Amino acid sequence: MTSRLSRTFVFVGLCLVGVSTVYPLIFMALNTMRSTTAFELSPYGLPTHLNLASFRTLFSQVPFLSSILHSFIVVVPAVVLATLFSALAAFVFTKTPVRFGNVLFWVMLMIMFMPGIVVLLPLYVEVAHLGLADNFTPAILIYTAINIPYGTYLLRSNFRAIPDSIVEASRVDGASWSRIFVRIILPVAKPGIVTVGILTFLNIWNELFISLVLLHSPSDEMVTPTLAQLSGKFSTDIPVLMAGLLLGAIPTLVLYFVTARVFIRGMLSGAVR
Amino acid sequence: MAANTSEEISRPAAGAREVSRRRRERRFFPYLALIPAAVFVLVLMVLPIGATIYHSFTNWDGLTSTFIGWRNFSLLLRNPIVSQIFLNSVIFLISVPLILFASLVAAVLVYEKVLGWRLFRFLFFIPNVLSPVIIGVLFSTFFLPGGLADQPLRTVGLGSFAWLSYPWTARLVVILALVWSSFGFGMVVVLSAMATIDPALYDAAIIDGTTWWRRLWFITIPLISSTLQFLSVINVIYTFTSLFSFVFVITAGGPGFATTTVDYYTYLTTFENGQFGYGAALAVLLFLIVLVLTIAQIKLFPQREVQQGA
Repeated sequence: MTSRLSRTFVFVGLCLVGVSTVYPLIFMALNTMRSTTAFELSPYGLPTHLNLASFRTLFSQVPFLSSILHSFIVVVPAVVLATLFSALAAFVFTKTPVRFGNVLFWVMLMIMFMPGIVVLLPLYVEVAHLGLADNFTPAILIYTAINIPYGTYLLRSNFRAIPDSIVEASRVDGASWSRIFVRIILPVAKPGIVTVGILTFLNIWNELFISLVLLHSPSDEMVTPTLAQLSGKFSTDIPVLMAGLLLGAIPTLVLYFVTARVFIRGMLSGAVR
Repeated sequence: MAANTSEEISRPAAGAREVSRRRRERRFFPYLALIPAAVFVLVLMVLPIGATIYHSFTNWDGLTSTFIGWRNFSLLLRNPIVSQIFLNSVIFLISVPLILFASLVAAVLVYEKVLGWRLFRFLFFIPNVLSPVIIGVLFSTFFLPGGLADQPLRTVGLGSFAWLSYPWTARLVVILALVWSSFGFGMVVVLSAMATIDPALYDAAIIDGTTWWRRLWFITIPLISSTLQFLSVINVIYTFTSLFSFVFVITAGGPGFATTTVDYYTYLTTFENGQFGYGAALAVLLFLIVLVLTIAQIKLFPQREVQQGA
């Protein structure tokens, strides 16, 4: 009886936290469907009729869809490169006898939490000097670099859990390192690698500073700077603002919804520490 | 006949070449595999950090720089705005215990495995996958005069309140946004620590008739204390490194400089005012703070990597 009572309390607690987590998102989603005047009359209830004028206004005044495209152009290659290079480095650090490897790993540990601004001042000047301002390539390369230390750190502890005996056995059978990496490490560590890939995607997609500084012409602006400037443009037109936020959130939300099973398990198994 | 002999001779030679190729692969592959990560980290992180440190001792406008010794730093120390922004960072540390508390509450509730616990665990992590830009804009909408935050004030007859126009309430909004965005991650970390607790401990405690609160206080919290410390240090680092987006969209550093953080002020001095040398000196201070915190985190939790489960 007491246990049923306390379980009810726990459930109520979960619901309270759940509502405070989900309500802002529902507010965002519902208000994209309201007209501006309907929002001012009643912003909180269910919308009485579906009005998609907010999206039309957004698309006609801001090159919003192309900013989402620009984000994909930058984020996808950076995620692939950063995850691949981190996995290779983590493999070398954990399974091969490389001297100096520790020095590099130590350097990565020291700078893994460095905020972008510390590296971006000279890089910005250099990029402008080389005439590469408003070019996607520097952004891709910088995002790749910035995400390698943490990715390597996470994958290193992940690969450590793979028994050395498997690697030793294939070595005795004459397998090359590249074969061991492709045929053993990648398949065995797949959940960890996928988790790190997702984390890297979230990091880069959601980041504001680097995208703001490096890419700021309409032909290359990424989605976060576009969103950040929306609030100035539409401070009195909340439905348009919410339409932008919703569209900007959809890629990461879809990624999370689709991969939640692997991703949450990967995080719980200590992939994040 | 002739072709036959040459084949017989070349076969072992090709075999030897194959063996030596393999040997070379064995020796050099690890170095080759390290090259991409090493080049990226050295060229695009270590070198730029070095350049930032060098330029912090110069008068730099992005084009030319002259060496001026410690002048940027002595100017920094005398700038009242700089002491204000460091004070702000200390104030924003209030978010750390709040994040820890919210993470612990969420984790403890999910751990009870009542109806729908997987769904709740899934939901609680959603804010973590959203950009701080989105969260920031959303929260600033709630705290506009007449926004969602004013609803309770209205029902008791008080009018609307300009939350973002006063230093402490503006800071409160930034802190709330930060806590909302990061408690899901904390929950996952706490849950992964709780998964290592032997359930027999709880069973024994239940047989002894202890209350739920006493089990939480005397079993759960002591056993995950190193994880809680780890979370605190990580979140202290985050308050120094990841408030830029929140501040940029919620308050733009205001009112005055009440919510300006080190990275936001560095952004203003360099990219808005073009004082790159001065900005570099600020970035160096931020670098040192984060470096010290990172070293503290590694020294305090060296066992972290060893206790990983697969």
